Amino acid sequence: MNKEFTAVGKRITQKDVVLKATGEAIFVPDVKLQGQLWGKILHSKYAHAKFTIDKTRALALPGVVCVITYEDTPKIPYCRSFRDMPMTASGQLQHSDEFILADKARFVGDPIAAVAAVDEKTAEAAIELLEADVKYEVLPFVIDPRDALKPGAPVIHDYSPNNNPVNSTPPPWLAIGDLEKGFAESDLVVEDNFYCSRQIQSHLETQSCCATVDSNNKITVYSPNQLAHPFRRELGKMFNHPVGKINVVTPYVGGSFGCRLSCHTEPICVMLALKTRKPVKLVNSKEEDFTTIDARTPHYLHAKLGLKKDGTLHAMELNVTTWGGGYVSRAMLAGGIMLIWGLGHYRCPNMNGSCKLAYTNTPLGGAMRGFGNPEVMWGIDQLMDRACVELGLDPVEMTLKNTKHAGETCNTGLPIESTYIDDCINEGAKAIGWKEKRGKNKGGTKTLKRGVGMSTMTHCSGAWPLLLEHSGAIIKFNEDGSANLIINPGSPGTHIYGSLSQVAAEVLGISVDDIYVVAGETEKTLFDLGSHASRSMYVTGHAVRIAAEEARKELLAYAAKMLAETPDDLDIKDGQVFVKANPGKKISVAKVSATAIYGARGDGHTISGKGCFVPHHNSPPTAAYFAEVEVDTETGVTKVLNFVSAVDCGKAINPMTVEGQCEGGVQQGLGYGLTEDYVFNPATGATATGNFTTYKIPGAPDMPLETKIIIIDKPDPKGPFGAKGVGEPGLVGIAPAIMNAIHDAVGVRVTDLPIKPEAILKALKEKASK
Amino acid sequence: MKKEILNFKVNGTPYEIEVEPQMTLNEVLREQLNLTGTKISCAEGECGACTVLVDGKPELSCSMLALAARDKDITTIEGLAKDGELHKIQKGFIEKGAIQCGFCSPGMMLMIKALLDENPNPTKEEITAYIAGNLCRCTGYVKIIDAAKAAAEA
Repeated sequence: MNKEFTAVGKRITQKDVVLKATGEAIFVPDVKLQGQLWGKILHSKYAHAKFTIDKTRALALPGVVCVITYEDTPKIPYCRSFRDMPMTASGQLQHSDEFILADKARFVGDPIAAVAAVDEKTAEAAIELLEADVKYEVLPFVIDPRDALKPGAPVIHDYSPNNNPVNSTPPPWLAIGDLEKGFAESDLVVEDNFYCSRQIQSHLETQSCCATVDSNNKITVYSPNQLAHPFRRELGKMFNHPVGKINVVTPYVGGSFGCRLSCHTEPICVMLALKTRKPVKLVNSKEEDFTTIDARTPHYLHAKLGLKKDGTLHAMELNVTTWGGGYVSRAMLAGGIMLIWGLGHYRCPNMNGSCKLAYTNTPLGGAMRGFGNPEVMWGIDQLMDRACVELGLDPVEMTLKNTKHAGETCNTGLPIESTYIDDCINEGAKAIGWKEKRGKNKGGTKTLKRGVGMSTMTHCSGAWPLLLEHSGAIIKFNEDGSANLIINPGSPGTHIYGSLSQVAAEVLGISVDDIYVVAGETEKTLFDLGSHASRSMYVTGHAVRIAAEEARKELLAYAAKMLAETPDDLDIKDGQVFVKANPGKKISVAKVSATAIYGARGDGHTISGKGCFVPHHNSPPTAAYFAEVEVDTETGVTKVLNFVSAVDCGKAINPMTVEGQCEGGVQQGLGYGLTEDYVFNPATGATATGNFTTYKIPGAPDMPLETKIIIIDKPDPKGPFGAKGVGEPGLVGIAPAIMNAIHDAVGVRVTDLPIKPEAILKALKEKASK
Repeated sequence: MKKEILNFKVNGTPYEIEVEPQMTLNEVLREQLNLTGTKISCAEGECGACTVLVDGKPELSCSMLALAARDKDITTIEGLAKDGELHKIQKGFIEKGAIQCGFCSPGMMLMIKALLDENPNPTKEEITAYIAGNLCRCTGYVKIIDAAKAAAEA
């Protein structure tokens, strides 16, 4: 069947966008509850300290309703990024190693107390009083994970006396061959140490929460999270509260990028609501966000590649030290997943690696878009480029020799369902003008040197079989022939509601305009794991497809009765049910649906469908990235002139959305590569870059002069209508492509992110002195 | 603290309200007038999310005292559409896919309104320079610039 799509593949604007254009869309900081109090958090001043807090003066301040510290909390250890995301292979859960308020401060910014007051100013005044009334017993602290793993380092958690809660090794399908032999058989071995930096997600809506508890003890939490259902379960556990009495409401979310995989303000806000029995609102300042949230987990990576003379990869070893933070959260998975992306990308017969996770007295390592993939490719694709230069090969041709094809084992251990990475490479190279520009300083001058560089990647569509996977969806028809699509994948700005509406409309044969999404409340929706791992289109998309197919079946059965036909002889198009052999014989979906509900035929029911889906496959999105840069050899400053991302995300359900994801990925990847530099003060452990002035995300003038997104748009056999994931791929290879282009321009490279002008200048000087 | 009377217009409607002298325009708009379409992010003038128009000129509402708006005409995102008809900038943003999470969008659209009022046919470079102080983390600015051009041509 090669039916022309009516909704899939179209550049359709989702309904939400109109509300965002008018200011009507409500985000958590916009929520106002009757009689609400304001919450504020007191953060530790010290990186590692015991403390006692005298609440007397704060409590006496008029307008202060309650003050809480560790003593007031349930003392049930929890995991801010939700322990119940078991790694399906091992069954291991994430560690629960923190309390709602700290028993001991483990980083500068660790929440140690909180207040609720009648207004924000009073809450702030109470925090100032409390701050003066904390007695700290300052302990020795450790910032760098390599120091934290040395014998004699300060112990951050008693249960982990060596600060090393977890080590990871590659899964069996990636620990293959014989490394020693592989390197010995290689014609060229390249290796280096790389620093993969702490990148802050920098979503504009700060972490925030509103919580209320009613007289039936039902807790309602407004939270900008990405994983509402697992979050509800974690809340239930940390407060020992039945989950049926918790409703997590996720309104519009002002950007996520992985940060909202952890709860930050929510547990404290709920605690204040439980204590005061009043609604409480708690909104972080941007500085609190910068200094306390789970950012992209930083790593020290040692990467080593062995290659044959013809550029064939023969051995790869990756050893990672992961910078965990005061609690482990998502960092527990961060190093292991790096090994999976890194070892899983290219075809290579001899591979192995290791990862050590360290507790440190710093804010936490969490997840950010790509989760380990941008980090590991920063190292691997620089080494690939270096090997090309040393072997006298062209990176485009050499990369094509090492890419995996359909049927080979993917990073997840499953067979690759589809990959068009070679198309990405060829199309991208053509668009950037690779042949005309590589190694030619084309358009450059003596001091403004130009070059081109590339990188590639393989990612995932959901986390199967590594983590829990499961999404559900419901479709119900209204009597006007429209349908409600009831889902809860989260809505962090990815237009997923719109894309899922296109899937539903395609199956149902009605217009996307007639799909109304109901989402954002755990108590009204089926379980959905949420938005992470580029999964929503691939997994929830299938759940929506199944729900729509069920509803379609019910609709056709009812229409068949009305038309005195058999359901198999009917089809639906443009909101009309018609007889395939006699298209003139038809009835509108609206009439069928209305008759089913109001027809009083004695067989009344709402036409509906339910779909639950667990993918037992994982179709990898792939991509190739090409940068053209101009490097000022007098200042070391790099300007990205052109950037091309060519992405294989299967069938693009909405090409406009796919472009938007990838264009945004370029901004974040360019920031990761060139401008975003998170710095700790080594003397105190405090964040030295706690705002947008000192932590620079790219503005419009910092972007490439031209950004081109190429969508390969070839359907995958397993994705819904052929779609694969696309959220994270947008930024994975941006930084290494830029670095390789810089090397092409000026012949030097740096291995620490971000690429700073002073590091380029230093490298140029060293090169000149040789 | 002693409150003062503030007379100003917001989206064409005259207001006479009592405000504390240290309150910012952003706090008054969001908390007192419930105009939550104006966002707040960095609250220190670095990101542009709180941009509103004051007598037609873009201002950071987080860094402007409410009393400085005395006798002025304020335009917030809620005032951009007229009589149920979306403004051409809103239409441009919607049609070109320039809105993702939507948190920077109100400030960004008002910034572009100020630009188009000054310069009805800006080049890509002029748009890029004008929105330099408005951060967006989702779009890479590509479709925002497309939307501004589409609005200029509409």
